[in-house]
Amino acid sequence: MSQLNFMDVYKFLPKTNCKECGLPTCMAFALSLVKGEKKPEDCPPILESKYKQDLEKLNELFGGEREGKKDLHIEIDTEKCDGCGVCVIICPVNARYCPNSLSGKQPDFPPDEHQLFQVKNGKSDLLNLKHCRRLEAEGRERECRVCEVYCPRDAIEISYYTAK
Amino acid sequence: MTQLVKNNQRVQSFVCSGCSLYCDDTQIVYSEKNEIIEAYGLCLKGYKKLNEIYSKNRIKKPLIRENGALKEVTYNEAFDKIKELIKNSKMPLLYGFVNTSCEAQIRGIELAKKIDGFIASNASICHGQTYSNVIDVGINSTTLNECINKADVFIFWGSNAADSHPKFLTKTIFSRGKFRITGREIKTLILVDPRKTTTYGVAGVRDLYTPLKPGKDLELIRFLKGKILGENSEIPPDGLFGIDREDLTRLILNLKKSENGIILIGQGVINADPSGTVVRALIELVDLINKTSKRSRFSIIPMTGHNMNGYIQVALSLVGKINQIEFSDNKLIESNIGLITKIMEDKFDISIIVAADPISNFPITMSSELIKKPLIAIDCFFTPTTKIADVVLPVAIMGLETDGLVYRMDNIPMNLQKIVDPPDNLLSDEQILTQIIQRLEE
Repeated sequence: MSQLNFMDVYKFLPKTNCKECGLPTCMAFALSLVKGEKKPEDCPPILESKYKQDLEKLNELFGGEREGKKDLHIEIDTEKCDGCGVCVIICPVNARYCPNSLSGKQPDFPPDEHQLFQVKNGKSDLLNLKHCRRLEAEGRERECRVCEVYCPRDAIEISYYTAK
Repeated sequence: MTQLVKNNQRVQSFVCSGCSLYCDDTQIVYSEKNEIIEAYGLCLKGYKKLNEIYSKNRIKKPLIRENGALKEVTYNEAFDKIKELIKNSKMPLLYGFVNTSCEAQIRGIELAKKIDGFIASNASICHGQTYSNVIDVGINSTTLNECINKADVFIFWGSNAADSHPKFLTKTIFSRGKFRITGREIKTLILVDPRKTTTYGVAGVRDLYTPLKPGKDLELIRFLKGKILGENSEIPPDGLFGIDREDLTRLILNLKKSENGIILIGQGVINADPSGTVVRALIELVDLINKTSKRSRFSIIPMTGHNMNGYIQVALSLVGKINQIEFSDNKLIESNIGLITKIMEDKFDISIIVAADPISNFPITMSSELIKKPLIAIDCFFTPTTKIADVVLPVAIMGLETDGLVYRMDNIPMNLQKIVDPPDNLLSDEQILTQIIQRLEE
């Protein structure tokens, strides 16, 4: 799973150590951002207009869905996908609600209401995103990207954008 | 298991016959008219196999070549022609038998015995050599369930499982299992391959990729054997056989410390070394680890294809060997002539091909030799082989339209059951071969 380095986060902060967020330094604030304890908006100075670009960068890093501006999209490239079912087995939400997938088996049809992925007609198929960890979980679990990382053919892409 | 869901659709679980994994976690949905409309849990390979039921490329009537073109005839005429061809032949060659059931394989060997022929399967140019070694030295093998529940190290030696058996990685490496609850995080993947194959795509930080130079397998295995026996030789700073010093150290550590390791032998080992020396060395390496190390235990699974293990089981139980099976006076004779020599040195006068397509799979030099002699093909579809054949007999697809016994890649027998009826009451491979044997007895 890809993890954020707190130094990457720190360079977008105001670096004034104003302590308005309740933490002693901006470095400490960056650490708590990475841990998922704080949100970018918890830093009062960054909401000022001169840090607007930095705030956008931070929102990109921590998932821009928080403000409700951009929606989460998991896209499966059906050209590349060969239906191996790694995404079905590796998804932690599937593992919780479909006991079959713990022993490497594909979940039964009809699917569970929580289930995210299923393999249909030789291709991976996204059922719904309601129960994805990136929307439902708290803290570090929110940074889940296992389906994207472990796909052998790089067919899955997680992105944030506003649907037109 | 059948259950009814809405709109009179019927869901049924079945065993996929797309590759040698024989996945049983798949389901198909039938419409009201009993047609398959959807399939769940099947990889692309299995789905394409399932779609063969509705293929337009099916052969539905027996065909005989007359004046250079294939002509539809009745079964009687086709069997008479086959009888005539076989009666006039002294050295028949039977080939194929992997993509079919064990029952048909038994009939194939019976037919070879009856007509004093030479029988070879796809195993002769694949994992037949591996199992020939197993007869001599034995093997520490295991089942896929052990891979799921207990294994912690997977060494893919010349194997690209993500392409050859698409759901293999899903089943073994990504599953959590009983004793490896965190799943992927504590299952280490080691790739011994000169190329970064598709399987490399699932490798993470803890996994190991060793870019072994082509043809250096045997030297690496000998080096590893020495290290396991406690040799103290230093690894040069540049590494050995194309592998870095650090990677090589980690590989040795994994061999010594893993609780339940699996070595998967693929085509990369077999094709580069037809004599089977590397496979034998690998079997000996595993034996050595299991004997010397108190903690470590390793097993081997050859990555075979389709029902190759079935042919190996059948051949071993009926005649006691896998390759170079030749009969004379209805008895097995000692022979050292393999399939390739047989074809290249022109030691056959008719070929009977069952469930295989050698014309498109063999090199041009070998397939052009096959074309020169009369050819009888038994197949479900029009292939390059049936296009040049003199007699073609149509059959039903095994596993989809007929029942049959098969062996999975870990030598577990599985019973395939038919899911649809064959078109035009087509016969199975077994029935066709039985009828040929009966006609010859008349």
